[in-house]
Amino acid sequence: MSHQRYRVALVGCGQIADAHLQQIRRISCAELVAVCDLEPLLARQAAERFDVPTQFTDFDQMLGEAAPDILHVTTPVHTHASLACRALQAGVHVYVEKPFAVDLAEARRIVATAQKNNRLVCLGHDQLFDPAWRQCVELVSSGTIGDVQHVDSYLAYPLQGPFGRQVLQDHNHWVRRLPGGLFQNTMSHPLYRITEFLTDESPAIQAEWFSRNIEHDLPTELRLNLRGRSVTGTLTFTSSTRPCRRVTRVFGTQGSLEVDLDTQLCRIDRGERFPGAFAKLEAPIRDVVTSLRNLARNTARFWRAEFHYFAGMYELFQRFYAAIDAGEAAPVSDRESLRVTAIMDEVFATCRQNDYLSNSADDGDDGRVVLNLIRETGELVADACRSSHSPVGRPS
Amino acid sequence: MSIPRRALLTGATGFLGRRILRELVRGGWSVRCAVRPASDIQSLIEFFGDGWSLASRQIEILPGNLADAGFCREITDGIDCIFHAAASLTGSVSSLVSNTVVPTRTLFAVAADQKVGRAVLVSSLGVYGPQKLRCGSVLDETCPLDEFPARRDGYTYSKTLQEEVARTISADRGLPLVVIRPGVIYGDERGVLSHRIALPLGSLLLRMGGHQQVPLTYVDNCAAAIVQAGQANGIDGETVNLIDDDLPTGCDVIRRYRRSGHRLRTIGVPRWAILWLARFNEWYSRTSDDQIPAVLTRHRVNAMWKPLRYSNERARRLLDWTPRISLDEAFQRTLQSTTSSSTR
Ligand SMILES: NC(=O)c1ccc[n+]([C@@H]2O[C@H](COP(=O)([O-])OP(=O)(O)OC[C@H]3O[C@@H](n4cnc5c(N)ncnc54)[C@H](OP(=O)(O)O)[C@@H]3O)[C@@H](O)[C@H]2O)c1
Repeated sequence: MSHQRYRVALVGCGQIADAHLQQIRRISCAELVAVCDLEPLLARQAAERFDVPTQFTDFDQMLGEAAPDILHVTTPVHTHASLACRALQAGVHVYVEKPFAVDLAEARRIVATAQKNNRLVCLGHDQLFDPAWRQCVELVSSGTIGDVQHVDSYLAYPLQGPFGRQVLQDHNHWVRRLPGGLFQNTMSHPLYRITEFLTDESPAIQAEWFSRNIEHDLPTELRLNLRGRSVTGTLTFTSSTRPCRRVTRVFGTQGSLEVDLDTQLCRIDRGERFPGAFAKLEAPIRDVVTSLRNLARNTARFWRAEFHYFAGMYELFQRFYAAIDAGEAAPVSDRESLRVTAIMDEVFATCRQNDYLSNSADDGDDGRVVLNLIRETGELVADACRSSHSPVGRPS
Repeated sequence: MSIPRRALLTGATGFLGRRILRELVRGGWSVRCAVRPASDIQSLIEFFGDGWSLASRQIEILPGNLADAGFCREITDGIDCIFHAAASLTGSVSSLVSNTVVPTRTLFAVAADQKVGRAVLVSSLGVYGPQKLRCGSVLDETCPLDEFPARRDGYTYSKTLQEEVARTISADRGLPLVVIRPGVIYGDERGVLSHRIALPLGSLLLRMGGHQQVPLTYVDNCAAAIVQAGQANGIDGETVNLIDDDLPTGCDVIRRYRRSGHRLRTIGVPRWAILWLARFNEWYSRTSDDQIPAVLTRHRVNAMWKPLRYSNERARRLLDWTPRISLDEAFQRTLQSTTSSSTR
């Protein structure tokens, strides 16, 4: 744990900022010194509700006057690179909420600026530090399921929740202008649960996005296949199933493991040992035992008051601050931040390609002629996205 | 102020807004409705039913974003009175502020520049801070506002901030302002079982206290008063609470529901128990680092469930208003249409 006291500031006072401010306040070595948002009313509500002494609408003024050691960036993604780089150049360590940047080029710029200024940048892959996920990783590392072969990551997204509704209703919402639309803002969570085990730099990708509901004028479903040298992965991003869950299944050579971050349950399946009909009794008995173990574990955790929706975020903040203290690398490495961004770029380019192909097939056109152009379209969309927004944007 | 004829209405697609619109049309106003691009206009048309084709001659609907000053200039052009009923009721605090307070600031600032004759702001009775009032006293317009609205809930916080922003613009830039603070608004689509009466716990209802008056206003009565606030003379700068006559207690409301055939499963929580629960919730939330957040706090309990009485004397006097629909009739209409026992 870190010893020094850090002055912490936050830019972008939207919904996720509440979670950051709440968790930062729980960390003894952190002192919240300032919040900033282009919209003064948003800066004010954050400052009032979380007892932050100063509030700003001008980012550079905040860096100068509040002199933070650490900055949390919780603005929309198209502003991340500009804000993070300005803070890093001012000698501030930066925590960037996911997704890292609009595209790989921007992500590289952030990492290079951090390295040049000898400061740490940490990407908010907080679910990797969730207690249930850590349990899953420990079980895998201890060889419980053998060598990992495949990871199946599932996210049921609450499109009718407060944020999803805003995106649906507001046709100019900044999320719609991202190269990866709705998915770019959220899919890093289920994706990095795969890349934790699938460590290839550039896995092969098959992907498509679509919409199930005719009233939705943007894609709300995404299906992704990833193939690395030894591990494969599938990602399902769905807005049409309930309950909303963040579930991952890890399949190994000797068994499989299912972890549900919402219920904080982890279940191991190593197959049946008894033959034939006996196995049909063994399986439910094993289920009961697993359930009892989970019940005991969750009861103990409840008793110790360990259930916090943002427990992973709290843990990651602590590790990040400790890394700054110890002069070590950030808990989410630069390589991982760049790799996940690169995969996302590729996924969105592939989805656009498939969109184009299916549309041109409908039109009776031979779409392949312009396929290469489509990849470039991704860069154009990213450029348009950057240029259509001001440097400090609305809440993420 | 002479009777104005051109009104700008925000929130016209909402529960209250559509009744304000109907009342304005009946009163002969020509009404410009500023709606969001994704607002459900069809259900507004269905609300008017056969009357729409006639009413629509007095109605102009303009979609746009109230946080956009350009749009606000367009919609306030030539307007005598703004009826500002648009607000978000749910969501995160930042989205409540973005949807309720930011548009109010933009709209009222532009309205002040455009020399609009009057702005009527639909605020809420929730902005009061009756924590220091003695049990049994009267909550009227002299009661102070909640000193710590952030400790209440996101909605109350955003409405308090909204009023503050509106008053600042009015004072600094000379916008004539009337603030209306309705109590709990009920009616055909909403039912009466607000949190001031009971909290839902699965299929159960926790009746909170039950012997205190509930500050209700029937939606049609409320809409009529708001329209009056746009045309009454000499009330610029005034603040008016809106509640109906003969307010029932929570127990009365539940009894009326049961009598009309609704099956409600309730558990009564006496006031002393609510206060102890609040103490426990505060303590546990603190010691568990918010594993269970402090939803029930003494600050909230003393704002929501304190036995108080309410007065509509000022509304009657300044707005020349009396609740047209009696409590009995309002309940009859509401309970007939409320088939389920849902709470809000
Ligand atoms: N209900 C109560 O018990 C109660 C009590 C006291 C005061 N009030 C106040 O009464 C007013 C109306 O409440 P209600 O119960 O009728 O709520 P409602 O049914 O939810 O209606 C809200 C209206 O505001 C519109 N709106 C919301 N955010 C907007 C934005 N950013 N820009 C433009 N329009 C926006 C909505 O448009 P869409 O159709 O596009 O969503 C809708 O027309 C509110 O100011 C509320 O605070 C209500």
